[in-house]
Amino acid sequence: MNTTVRTLIAGSTALAGIAFASVAMAETYKIGITQNNVGVDSYQTTYEKAFIAAAEANADVEAVVLDAGGDVARQIAQVQDLIQQEVDAIIIWPTNGEAVIPAVREAHKAGIPVIVTNSNIAEPGFEFVKSFSGPDNITQGSRSAEIMCEKFTEMGIQDEAKVVQISGQPGYTTAIERQKGFDDRLPEVCPNVTIVETQPGDWNREKSQTVMEAFLVKYDDIDGVYAGDDNMGVGALNAAKAAGREGIIFVGATNFAVGYEAMEAGEYWGSIYQSPVDDAEAALKTALDVLNGVDVPFLNYFDTPKITQDNMSEFTKPVF
Amino acid sequence: MADERLKSLTSMLARHGILVAFILFMIGFTIANQRFLGLDNVLGVIRSSAILGVMALGVTFVVVSGNLDLSVGSMMSFSTIVVLDLHDKLGPSMAIPAMFAMTMALGAFIGFLVGYLKLNSLIVTLGMLSAIHGLTLTYSGGKNMDIVDKSGTWFSVFGQGAIFGIPVPVLMFGLLAVVLTVILAKTPFGRKVYAVGGNGTAATFSGIPRARVVFMTYIISSFCVATAGLIQASRSLGSQNTVGQGLELDVLAAVILGGASLLGGSGTVFKTVIGVLILGFIQNGLLLVGLQFYVQYVVTWVIIILAVWLDIAAKRGRLWSPIA
Repeated sequence: MNTTVRTLIAGSTALAGIAFASVAMAETYKIGITQNNVGVDSYQTTYEKAFIAAAEANADVEAVVLDAGGDVARQIAQVQDLIQQEVDAIIIWPTNGEAVIPAVREAHKAGIPVIVTNSNIAEPGFEFVKSFSGPDNITQGSRSAEIMCEKFTEMGIQDEAKVVQISGQPGYTTAIERQKGFDDRLPEVCPNVTIVETQPGDWNREKSQTVMEAFLVKYDDIDGVYAGDDNMGVGALNAAKAAGREGIIFVGATNFAVGYEAMEAGEYWGSIYQSPVDDAEAALKTALDVLNGVDVPFLNYFDTPKITQDNMSEFTKPVF
Repeated sequence: MADERLKSLTSMLARHGILVAFILFMIGFTIANQRFLGLDNVLGVIRSSAILGVMALGVTFVVVSGNLDLSVGSMMSFSTIVVLDLHDKLGPSMAIPAMFAMTMALGAFIGFLVGYLKLNSLIVTLGMLSAIHGLTLTYSGGKNMDIVDKSGTWFSVFGQGAIFGIPVPVLMFGLLAVVLTVILAKTPFGRKVYAVGGNGTAATFSGIPRARVVFMTYIISSFCVATAGLIQASRSLGSQNTVGQGLELDVLAAVILGGASLLGGSGTVFKTVIGVLILGFIQNGLLLVGLQFYVQYVVTWVIIILAVWLDIAAKRGRLWSPIA
């Protein structure tokens, strides 16, 4: 008797819950995100925390936070899961700009808007995507070129300086775009500066240090190093310090705490300030704007300013 | 007389085909870029190879005993992150032994599973590859680990110091290679490792404690990994969580390149050192030659296959297989 009553009550509560949920659906958005590889670096770790915090702070958002662990196959499966769960929007941080396109198309076909965050997917996939929210990596590359050229001009070596470049992981869109931005912009601002060689450092400090050691053996004259991010830039700086080569201008991108410290110590000239918190919040805002029917540009960039030893006091030290 | 001399030369070649291959590559790269054999470059390459090399020394024991160790890459990340974290919390003189203890506990766990429970080493260490990676991430919360006071610590000596102009990592690599050569080639324990790897059943019937020998090989391997993590941490005084990711395959490549059989029972520490140096000098040589990066992957493979072929050809005394 008692149990029957309880079951009835439980049943009706569940029913009421379902009814309530379907009413609430109209206002609450369920947003799924599949990230590239949380934990591989502090940027992605901070991004995830900031995203969860932003989602929790917004009562209209219920977030499903997933991580592909750098594995394309797992990311594709996660997108399919999110489609099954009938989320309102999917945010994807592509593990690979090409390989995720079929999964993105599936979501598009299911009528779920897709927002790409941080690094864009390849162009054939653009038609299945509502918006890209993230840094403009080509602009970052060109701004790094400008920082380096301005410093060379100040030093008076803008007509003879030689630069080596350490790029990110081959095949990774961010790496390709930053390299392109740098390669295209440097000859425009400093036409007589030569990029003598480019080799990848795979976003890895140790790998970058090894690459820089080989550069130092190979070239007697290196005036500047451009690294695809500060992690690699500091690796290259360590190599130069160990070899006793002074006076090299180091410019990176994505200002890391180690890069910021090296700038404070006067060993590292400049970088591009890119906050993972801004990145995560911009992604969520873009998704919400799309869902609310606000007009969003296809390439929805957040600003990533130049930071050098001269203006670094305007920026707080990165947390990653 | 001349005939005899020729014979001894051929038998020398047969024993050291991989050494011949190594010398040939060195000559080739030197022709391509004069700076290749410069003292700075050679020391630089050996210093960068020391981390991989120290790990390969330990894995040689595991492979000779007929097992595999695929966990060394993520175990190295673990020890690097742990020692960097503890450096600021306990001070370097406590952090180093604590890190060695934690890393060797992982090695003991693997050794227990493979030795005493007789589980397949491929499966155990492949599982540990991701399990230890997860452990590292949990420990660090995914954040990069950095020593706060980078200029004021003697901890940097292991990765950046030099004694009489020779980098400390090179000395550690060399010292460990000598000690482990003696252990593997000259002690009863070393002979037991060969026996267990050559024929485990026969070894057991001969009264050799197979489980304990296998257990010990993993202890040695994890000791080497901890040493590698120490050098790594000291070299950059800060690290990502993924610092050792993928190294397990390079380590195995170096050990196999040195001529150790994956089936166990053969291989020497000295040949592993040559294997490590070949890999290190290939990577450096290709950078100095300035080949486009994408081509380097392919060329690396071609050189490795050439080296293995030369080694085998020297052993059987002819280029082609007689029974093909």
